[in-house]
Amino acid sequence: MNRVLKYIYACLVVFPVIFLMAMSFAEKWRFPDFWPENWTFKNWSSSIFGQGDLLYSLIVSLGISLMLASLVCVISFFVSKEIAYSKYRKTYMKLTLIPYILSPIILAVIFQYYFAFTSLTGKILGVLIAQLFFALPFGIVIFNNFWNDKILSLEQLTFTLGATPKESLLKAVIPLSKPAIILCFFQSFLVSWFEYGLTRFIGLGKVKTLTVMVFNFINEANVFYAALACVLLVLPPIFLLYINKKALILKQ
Amino acid sequence: MSTFLELQNISKSFDEETILEDVNLSLEHQKTLSLIGASGSGKTTLLKIIAGLEKASNGNVVLNKQNINNLPPQKRKIVYLYQDALLFPHLSAFENIAFGLKLQKQKNIRNTVNAMLESLGMIEHAEKMPNQLSGGQKQRIAFGRALVIKPQLLLLDEPFGALDPKIRSNMQKLFKNLVVAQGLSSIFVTHDIKEAIIIGDGIAKIEKGKLIQFESKQSFYNTKSSGVQAEIDFWKQLKNEKE
Amino acid sequence: MVILPVSTGLIYATSYSLGLTGLMSQGFTTAYWGEALSSQDVWSSFLYSFWVGIVSVFIAACIALGLALGWQRSIQQGKLSYFIFLPLCYPATVMAFLVHQWFSPSGFFSRLFYNLGIIDNLEAFPIVIRDYYGIGIILCSIFLITPFFTILFSNIYKNERINELENLSKTLGSSVNQILRRVTLPILFNRSKTTLLLFVIFVMGSYEAPLILGRQNPQMITVAIVNKIQKFNLNDIPVGYAMSIIYVLIVIISLNFSGILKTFQNRKISNI
Repeated sequence: MNRVLKYIYACLVVFPVIFLMAMSFAEKWRFPDFWPENWTFKNWSSSIFGQGDLLYSLIVSLGISLMLASLVCVISFFVSKEIAYSKYRKTYMKLTLIPYILSPIILAVIFQYYFAFTSLTGKILGVLIAQLFFALPFGIVIFNNFWNDKILSLEQLTFTLGATPKESLLKAVIPLSKPAIILCFFQSFLVSWFEYGLTRFIGLGKVKTLTVMVFNFINEANVFYAALACVLLVLPPIFLLYINKKALILKQ
Repeated sequence: MSTFLELQNISKSFDEETILEDVNLSLEHQKTLSLIGASGSGKTTLLKIIAGLEKASNGNVVLNKQNINNLPPQKRKIVYLYQDALLFPHLSAFENIAFGLKLQKQKNIRNTVNAMLESLGMIEHAEKMPNQLSGGQKQRIAFGRALVIKPQLLLLDEPFGALDPKIRSNMQKLFKNLVVAQGLSSIFVTHDIKEAIIIGDGIAKIEKGKLIQFESKQSFYNTKSSGVQAEIDFWKQLKNEKE
Repeated sequence: MVILPVSTGLIYATSYSLGLTGLMSQGFTTAYWGEALSSQDVWSSFLYSFWVGIVSVFIAACIALGLALGWQRSIQQGKLSYFIFLPLCYPATVMAFLVHQWFSPSGFFSRLFYNLGIIDNLEAFPIVIRDYYGIGIILCSIFLITPFFTILFSNIYKNERINELENLSKTLGSSVNQILRRVTLPILFNRSKTTLLLFVIFVMGSYEAPLILGRQNPQMITVAIVNKIQKFNLNDIPVGYAMSIIYVLIVIISLNFSGILKTFQNRKISNI
């Protein structure tokens, strides 16, 4: 019985992907028909390989997410180290937690003026910077767990063995921080990849990421294209999950 | 014998808390000084100041008649060993020992490291990762890593504290043999009186930031607060009860 | 880099809401704050968001508890672990779209029920999308957060060695029910309560689900704020900013009371 329940659960969990895939190949689905009238490759061929709207969105989303993940990893690696070994570590971490908790759309609302003032609204760079402010606390919280007494002792040990700060960083600290860097990269990538509200607000709808396209298709009542965009949204994270399951675990 | 290391009026405070107060210490060439101190006595801070990992609030660290207060730790050739072996978990035993030699871009690293592994009795464990080694084996590798770069001074902060008695005894013998063979000067911190007497050529005691360096081991034994007499009395009483 | 933009943003939002800056600025005024604080719509949005947050987290936690306790070993190792993690790949946008496609009157389940003869027309299908109680938004939130809770409870169960404690309780004479009520659930709840509160805040601040699945009245607070900011009525913009400040203050106060901010206070620089 337990085994049956597990199979049912597994099917339930996979069902969304199957449903979206099916819809993305569908055309004309009138109520009360259970199945669509037609199955077609037209949606895929025209939106990705034809006019290329979704292909462009896929590239924009990938570009922004990869760039953001890289920036967050680099910046939060060094910032979190300064925080971890600072006298005011508790205060800094309390303050870091606030943007981490706030809704990204509210963050966008409260600092959109500055983006408009600097003409960054409606631009990919503006969206990237806005997402950076939101995603950076994620990175700092992840690396906060890494910088501990043991790492500090190891770093100091390397100095006494003759290593310069640069050598210590490259030969000892960074190799040890690989699990944290991978976790930070994946988490930041997903934060950016999935983000809609902040992207829409700062991007003014002109920066057409996949999430923005999903909403555009929903507003146009084009559910089949919306389903296609959703498939493109979920496939990379599924791929990431299977190549590195542990990197996506949110630890307590 | 000339004075190799001299600490002159070293003081250290964090905020309003005094960690070290007017510490004076001298160490001769190729000698080991045992430093007895409990937790919170300031011994770790003292060692870190000597190693250059922390700066003293006042005072001078003089090594080979040179004031090294402003010399960075990389340039002091003073290696600091913790109670935890602190091997690099991503490197094998061989690579851990080779670490310092690679930084110095030395030639013939393989032969040098293998020779060190032989002297440590660890040659067959060369390719093992740290998580495959026992506590005693890890400490041996940590020693090897420190000694292979021929430091001027070795600072050991309770290196055998986490080991069981038999392995601890073996490590004490190994340490004595290695420092004599290499002609090293060292400061060995412990809170174990017996270990301090076995290891050290001289003894000092640090308590609440203040250091007393005994002129000789005998003067240490004769000092009531050293605890030596109390130990002797304890074993004598046990012997009498047994008889 | 993190605090400065948020602080400057809050300063701008505050000055806009006080009439010190902005398109309709006529100098200092508390009128917009008065409007925000006295508006029934504003407070019903906050209360509605809180309702959705609490209900979603409660139901998700119950489901996750069942999964974590029932399938503990399979979750930690084995193939089921992949299926537990898979829903983490579905973002709010996708899940909201799916809930809409499944549960709308002309959606997948409506068609299924019609073809099975359970209903005979579109209107007979229960309204769960854009309904008064936010059932659609709650459903979407449950689908999204249950996997997080399942992993959370499973990890706590393993790290706190609850299995061993349960066995110990058995040897002390406890029944299965007693073990659950006095050992398992208290430990799990104690270790997870901070995270549960965090998720209530996260659900309250969600935007995509209420945008697709919510109705005009009452609105979740994020949708209400964005609507005010983006409306043609320029007098609504300062009210929108006032609402966003109120939201930030409520979040910070909740964090303080809950002790989430103490999480970093009690931890030393040691491996957590």
